[in-house]
Amino acid sequence: MSAVIEIAGLRKTFHTLRQGRRVAVDSFDLLVESGQIHGFLGPNGSGKTTTLRALLGLVRADAGRMSVLGASSPERLPEVAGRVGAIVESPQFFGNFTARRTLRLLAVAGGVPTGRVDEVLEQVGLRDRSEERVKGYSLGMKQRLAVASALLKSPELLILDEPANGLDPAGIREMRDLMRSLAASGVTVLLSSHILAEIQLICDHVTIISRGRRVAYGRVEEVLDGFDQHEWQVRVAEPERAVELLAQAGMSVTAHPEHLLVAGVDDPELISRTLGEQGLWVRELIPLRPDLESVFLELTGTTPHPTVPRQVDGSIRPPAGSDDVVIDLDARESQEVDA
Amino acid sequence: MNLVRAELERLTARRFVQLMVVLLLVAFAVTAGTTLAGSHQPSAEELSRARAQAAEQIAQLEAAHDRCLAIKAGTVEPQEHDYVPKDCAEVDPGRMERLPTTSDYLSGVFVFATEAKPLLYFLIAFLVLFGFLVGASYIGADLNSGGVVNLLLWRPRRWAVLGAKLGTLLAGLLVFSAVASAAYLTVFWLIGQTVGYPGPMDGSFWASLGVQHGRGMALVLIAAAVGFAIATLGRHTAAALGTVAAYLVVWELGARLVLQILDVARPDQWMLSSYLGAWLSGEVEFWDRSACQGDISGFCQGLYTLTWRPGLAVLLGLTVVLVGAAFAAFRRRDLI
Repeated sequence: MSAVIEIAGLRKTFHTLRQGRRVAVDSFDLLVESGQIHGFLGPNGSGKTTTLRALLGLVRADAGRMSVLGASSPERLPEVAGRVGAIVESPQFFGNFTARRTLRLLAVAGGVPTGRVDEVLEQVGLRDRSEERVKGYSLGMKQRLAVASALLKSPELLILDEPANGLDPAGIREMRDLMRSLAASGVTVLLSSHILAEIQLICDHVTIISRGRRVAYGRVEEVLDGFDQHEWQVRVAEPERAVELLAQAGMSVTAHPEHLLVAGVDDPELISRTLGEQGLWVRELIPLRPDLESVFLELTGTTPHPTVPRQVDGSIRPPAGSDDVVIDLDARESQEVDA
Repeated sequence: MNLVRAELERLTARRFVQLMVVLLLVAFAVTAGTTLAGSHQPSAEELSRARAQAAEQIAQLEAAHDRCLAIKAGTVEPQEHDYVPKDCAEVDPGRMERLPTTSDYLSGVFVFATEAKPLLYFLIAFLVLFGFLVGASYIGADLNSGGVVNLLLWRPRRWAVLGAKLGTLLAGLLVFSAVASAAYLTVFWLIGQTVGYPGPMDGSFWASLGVQHGRGMALVLIAAAVGFAIATLGRHTAAALGTVAAYLVVWELGARLVLQILDVARPDQWMLSSYLGAWLSGEVEFWDRSACQGDISGFCQGLYTLTWRPGLAVLLGLTVVLVGAAFAAFRRRDLI
């Protein structure tokens, strides 16, 4: 598969009079290949939007190399801009224009046939509300309009920053279906979102960023597998005896009030056989697979604390060069201690 | 071209632009209405009387000139009330900038030839304000709301996008100003023809009016470009308004006062308003009080003149610098 987006060693520092120098992105790499639906995750302020803005030529990178559809960005971005649909954060539209007029103007400015306007309005579900002024739109409707504007060019690459922002549950599902159908038709999608369950459902690849640096990337299953501790939730009639039997069989068992937690077991048959041979019948055996949310919170160090409010910049800042598939857990713990 | 088309549609659809056009139409209607209400077509008798008064006034001027020459020649003894300048050419009616005309002696009559220039100045002042505010808000609102970012995602050529916006603004404004001023003058010309008095409208009148109109249109474009440039630099419409307000208060009022207290020679030549006035009216005269200091010879006029040439040079220079800075800043700026 060919690379559609390539970012290597991206660095961006903002300088402000009040806050001085702030490194937004540092030595960041991203690779999105053709046909992928690639999730781009990170806590608030981690550098996601800055990365997308740099890629799209809206902010100037201090260092690094970027390319979009084979053209170096931002130098040769105009050559491929017609093949890239993008929304960055919540785009603002002219409130007094209707959705149709907004899209028609963009089509005119971009040299896109205006007949495409009706198609994208239909696609995002705004057909019947297209003659209303944008200022009367809800956040979700504005978001649909933003996605419509990105789709207007019939892009080969779609870059969407928080496309589900403000959408109702049905809208989120429609957006998911839309992404899937676009990907099926060959469109490569880079999707930045905070709705991790959604990313897990839609995306085949993922890159996670924390405080400007990449902390994980790869196929979604691979990233999740890296955090799979092969844990099982077990319910039996005599938990105390079960703990004893499983421990004797060399398994790591933790007793909880309602169940047992057995870790480090690849095959669940081993658990049921160990207990069954001693006349203890398993009532429930549930595999505890990590989901993207738990991996994300783990990787970025943003797991909520019950008593201490977490600060925006309180996520993990990995050292440069530690950005391969999954960060070593011990190293991560030591960073948390340092922080 | 597509970008310009889209920008023109955006520009004309802006509420602020529409509001300013409505305000212009209201001001236009009020001025025309009050003029209509306060004017009447002079009767033959009124015209005849006014013509006679003008002729009499001219005859008096000629007589005064002849008397001056006679006094200089020593053929007539000067009287107490006689004004005898060093050179009688000073009172020569033939050399006067303007001789009394019939319209000077018509009361309650709108005279187009007399009123056209002040009316045009009013229109130019409105259009300058219109151009500045529209120029500033057109880009300021777009930068502030993220509209420019939207556009750059479609056309990632910053200078082309900003250039299209500025070009569309100036072209649109020029067409609007030309049409508005033509309609404005035509209406008042018709009022002069129907319920007033046209007055003397020879070739020099139209030439002078044309020059004034041209200068006014240039000033409108300069104001729009300056507003656009400052708002681009400050990323907000308010930046342009604040800069102008600060300039007026700090420099035109405050610094002028300080320069006068410090007895700095010709303080007016440090003020933009002087060059603006010089450009618009062709030339302006200022009094230089330092020129007469230590003069014991008696008469010291101490005047100096600023003509339209330095006026245009300063205004254009400022505009080029600001627009250049705006384009340079926009090219390098992080759009966040």
